[in-house]
Amino acid sequence: MTEIPPLHQEVVLEFPYKHSTGPVIGRFLAGLKEQKKIWGQRVRGQGVVVPPLGYSELDGSAGDEWVEVKPTGTVTAVAVVHEPIEGLHPFTTPFAFVLVRLDGADTALAHVVKDDVARLRVGTRVEAVWAPDDQRQGTIRDIACFRIVAT
Amino acid sequence: MAEPPREPIKYVDALVRLPYHYVAGDCRARYLRALKDKKILGARCSETGKVFVPPLVNSPESLAPADEFVEVADRGVVTTFCIVNIPVIGRALELPYVVASIALDGADISIHALIQECKPEEVRMGMRVEAVWKPDGEREGSHEDILHFRPTGEPDMPREGFINRL
Amino acid sequence: MSRLRNVAVVAFAQAPIVARDEHRMATEMLYPQIRCALAACGVERSAIDYQVAGSADYIDGRPFGFVSALEVMGAWPPTQDLHLEMDAAFAAHYAWIRMQAGDCDTALVCGHGKVSEGEPRRILNLELDPYYQAPIGLDPVATAALQASAFMARTGTTDRRLAEVAARNRTAGARNPDAQVRAPATADELARTPWVVEPLRTGYVPPLGESAVCLVLAAEGKAERMCDRPAWIHGTDQRIELQTLGARDLSRSPSARLAAERALAMAAVRSAAEVDLVELSAATPVEELILCEALDIDAAPSSPTVNPSGGPLVGHPLMMTGLIRLGEAFRQLAGQAGEHAVAGARRAIAHATNGHCLQQNLFWVLGTERRWT
Repeated sequence: MTEIPPLHQEVVLEFPYKHSTGPVIGRFLAGLKEQKKIWGQRVRGQGVVVPPLGYSELDGSAGDEWVEVKPTGTVTAVAVVHEPIEGLHPFTTPFAFVLVRLDGADTALAHVVKDDVARLRVGTRVEAVWAPDDQRQGTIRDIACFRIVAT
Repeated sequence: MAEPPREPIKYVDALVRLPYHYVAGDCRARYLRALKDKKILGARCSETGKVFVPPLVNSPESLAPADEFVEVADRGVVTTFCIVNIPVIGRALELPYVVASIALDGADISIHALIQECKPEEVRMGMRVEAVWKPDGEREGSHEDILHFRPTGEPDMPREGFINRL
Repeated sequence: MSRLRNVAVVAFAQAPIVARDEHRMATEMLYPQIRCALAACGVERSAIDYQVAGSADYIDGRPFGFVSALEVMGAWPPTQDLHLEMDAAFAAHYAWIRMQAGDCDTALVCGHGKVSEGEPRRILNLELDPYYQAPIGLDPVATAALQASAFMARTGTTDRRLAEVAARNRTAGARNPDAQVRAPATADELARTPWVVEPLRTGYVPPLGESAVCLVLAAEGKAERMCDRPAWIHGTDQRIELQTLGARDLSRSPSARLAAERALAMAAVRSAAEVDLVELSAATPVEELILCEALDIDAAPSSPTVNPSGGPLVGHPLMMTGLIRLGEAFRQLAGQAGEHAVAGARRAIAHATNGHCLQQNLFWVLGTERRWT
């Protein structure tokens, strides 16, 4: 039997979502937007969790007091994206994803580094770069990115 | 400040945007392309002889292969239907409109289609209908080649003729 | 530990993994595998008590795609069925649990999905929380690279070592007719491939590919009639870790370690090093090294043989990779592994995973003899 020519269809599925945040995530994001501060939460079994969820991922217990952490920290993992994917990755030129343990936190924050990524190593000291006042919207990208601390 | 602001940011907006690159598969490709020629294809179960429209690779009932393609008529009988009073996003349909399950002559299961060119209250189980095709030259080999079905005016089919083909 | 029911894998059928099947939808790829598996057992559909499938609608963008899988598994008369939005390996695990509860004696376990119809790096970004991790654009290759970075920093593992692990899998894949990547490659060649997300090179990650798989499980009393050499399940367990990447030690897999310990304990096997082969759902050489560390086995070419099938590196159909590892373990123990057979294999370990960075891990320990007599 002769081969049937394939029939194709391109479809783009698009869904807008508004994810409710709740009191802890919502206040953490407000802290980024309005105070330019990074807040962690003390959580049983995990120490100071940044960014906080409001509960322990180990045993589900409610988180405790807020603890402010510094905007500086240490890189614990680096992944350099050499060919960014349009519409998915935050930049169109090579950049790095990093895990950063901020000073005062016991967990690492996942974020990005835009410049000088070839110098990044596990152990590199980095600092938060804030989005300008009129561009902060209460999202994790109110921290625009991290940059290597100048020594 | 010993704490972040009292008022939380209430929502995080996210636009999920996922491109898909579908393959119709040979069964569906043959079925869709045949619509361009005003042909409706089904597949016959090798064990029971039942005809499925659109064609499948196997009968879900017997699990036997269904690789013999047969042509069914573009006319048939309304097996069941509903009258819809809410609009559909992306389609300009006059309300109310009728969606029906239609067992085409020669097929053992029903397809879905709009019933138009009659009042909704006239539609009934057993009503004979025929396909209204897009004109020659406008058909593309897609499910939109059939615009809708309309009553033929023939006498209704008795219940035994369609009750097992819903 | 108390006596459990002896359950065995009695058949496994797999479509060769391809980059894209242009002529068949997911369920059309699955149908012949189901016919093949049932024929191998010498039974009709009526002998199956439980139909379970693993697939994810968002992988190929077909809402309720799993419902159409029932058409090729057989929809009439209706049988108990289950669908998991996970690798079909977890569907097999679920069927095993139902058999232990006495709810069924036989199960048809299927995996399906057209990976080529979607874009997994975009789709699997959505497995991450929508507040902190998904919005920065993390995709599964990037998260695997973060795990690689953490592992290499802790252990001092070099790029060269990753190339060697990848090359070993490529050599094995060349002997596996169902693998997508059939050409062997040397460590030198793989170490020269460009970065996909550093420190992972294109030679260290699988290509996108699709398949369809069907595996049959049967309890003692039925298994012996369906297969001459059933692969008996001696132990199984699965564990999951927390979701936030930065709150985990990505360089280790505590859930794999715990699940393996429990599965081995159930199997009355002291250590994973005692089995003849281990099939791991390791999508990168780093994942393989982390899992081997969690199992306390050396990943070198000596016994136990790791991934004699070539593993996911030579073929990684999403939602099926884990079930294929179980199927490969069956093939080895049933004497059906052909050119990639591990001679004289009597016991095997198979592994499945779910989520980013080995977040969730499932292990089986299997053997040619019954566990409980």
